[in-house]
Amino acid sequence: MTAENVTLPPLAGAIKKALPKVPCAASLTKTDLDLRVAPADLLALVQGLKDHPDLGFDYLRNVTGLDMQENGLELKYHFYSFKHGHTVQVTVATPPGESHLPTLAGLYAAADWHEREAAEMFGFVFDGHPDPRNLLLEEDLRIHPLLKAHPLQPVEIVQGIEDGRAGFEF
Amino acid sequence: MSIWPEERLDHVDTEGFHTVDMTINVGPQHPATHGVFRMLLTVDGELVTACRPYIGYLHRGLEKLSELNDYRQAMGFWDRTDYLAGLLCEQAYCMAVEKLADIEVPERAEYIRVMLSELSRINSHFMFLGAFGADVGSFGTSFTYAWRERERIYDLIEEVSGDRMFPTYCRPGGVTMDLPENFEKRCREVLGHIYQGIDDLDGLLTGNEIFVERCRALSPLTTERAINLGVTGPVLRSTGLAWDLRKAEPYSVYPHLKFDIPVGLRGDVFDRYMVRLAEMYQSARIVEQCLEQLPGGPFLNPNLPKNLRIDDAEAYVRIEGTKGEYGVYALAKGGNKAYRMKLRSPSFCNLSALSEMVVGHYVADAIIILGSLDIVLGEVDK
Repeated sequence: MTAENVTLPPLAGAIKKALPKVPCAASLTKTDLDLRVAPADLLALVQGLKDHPDLGFDYLRNVTGLDMQENGLELKYHFYSFKHGHTVQVTVATPPGESHLPTLAGLYAAADWHEREAAEMFGFVFDGHPDPRNLLLEEDLRIHPLLKAHPLQPVEIVQGIEDGRAGFEF
Repeated sequence: MSIWPEERLDHVDTEGFHTVDMTINVGPQHPATHGVFRMLLTVDGELVTACRPYIGYLHRGLEKLSELNDYRQAMGFWDRTDYLAGLLCEQAYCMAVEKLADIEVPERAEYIRVMLSELSRINSHFMFLGAFGADVGSFGTSFTYAWRERERIYDLIEEVSGDRMFPTYCRPGGVTMDLPENFEKRCREVLGHIYQGIDDLDGLLTGNEIFVERCRALSPLTTERAINLGVTGPVLRSTGLAWDLRKAEPYSVYPHLKFDIPVGLRGDVFDRYMVRLAEMYQSARIVEQCLEQLPGGPFLNPNLPKNLRIDDAEAYVRIEGTKGEYGVYALAKGGNKAYRMKLRSPSFCNLSALSEMVVGHYVADAIIILGSLDIVLGEVDK
């Protein structure tokens, strides 16, 4: 999001030093340090962020799904460390049509509902999630309303087409 | 242990009794669920063995609406999230937009926002005290006591903004209009009533031995578990961790204000209640300081564009909401509408801890534990 010449906060150096084997690109948002990783490296990065004593990210603040249209889906995690008081944002981009990510529910109990919400709203699939049902939407609804392509007016018609349930012939 | 209603579990206990687990449905239309919230409780006699919450009855597509309306229009939806403290949500939303667009806010506007947000926090906590008292068994008495003071706060907010619950009073860059002329006098009058009201409820509830005995040592939460579950706000502070975003990541004019963070000792239901009670005094203290320090000058940034357009920018702005960390993730990619707005709702995260917290307790206590989380369904369901 920001220009290359911006100096990164010391936290970026600390993460680089603590987790030298995980390839990630650091940048700055308006509020936090952002780390961009590939889906395959996500678990290693998050495990390191949580367990390393200099980082100690013990609290998952937020999980945000994003529809980047032709670039596929993105997921943003925000972690906070109560010990050090710092925040990091982790961005994972998934290619179009392959929105599989490992679940973080084993590391952070808070991830459970956040991931269920991202799954129903965007169509992410969290491999190994303990309870992958819809959360805010109806349980048998298979539409993803926060996708940019999701139509606004004829939602009920789309439900009928995608669901194929009896009584939805329009 | 089973959470599936169809998997009824037969088992024989240590004394040879043959029992069958039963599933009972609570809500969504039930006074104890504080809104449209439903939970399926699997019970073994009186003891809860599993709890399965169902939410989404109040889902209004806040995030989609925020992508479809421009920055000023979308704000009106946000005070419908935590509708007990609408001004706090507006403040968070406006702070997110201001962060994206680097808009400066005049100091007077910051003070007005903080003052009204703290009044809203008191309002929300009054609601908690009233409803929680009713959950535990004080029938309508605590409710009427709390409502009396809430009406006074709503009247004051109405005098300032023109609306009671959904003021739509903040704007990116300040607030819509200045405070009315006699605001200071009126506010001090209301504050006097607030102090009296908190004392009354304190006497009614904390002074009642039955209330205290029902709440004490019930469903204690450890700090480590609370953090892992993503629980924030008074529920986290009741476990003994003094973490309040107003101090941990200071925003607005909170660095200029003096207040303490009340914490609990054991993280049980009683501590959650006491933390909120003590927080109300601190909020009233903040309002008093704001009245004294309130600077003059403009209440809205005079250099705002008529149609706000924001280029590529990304921010995660968080404030201490009434229930915990109220976060707004915002992404702009040009144009006058946000590309994505996401609410990190404290009630949502606190409620996700419920199923773990009620297991092993009596059904009647499950209602109290739910009440002690102080959820507001508008914020849970977005």
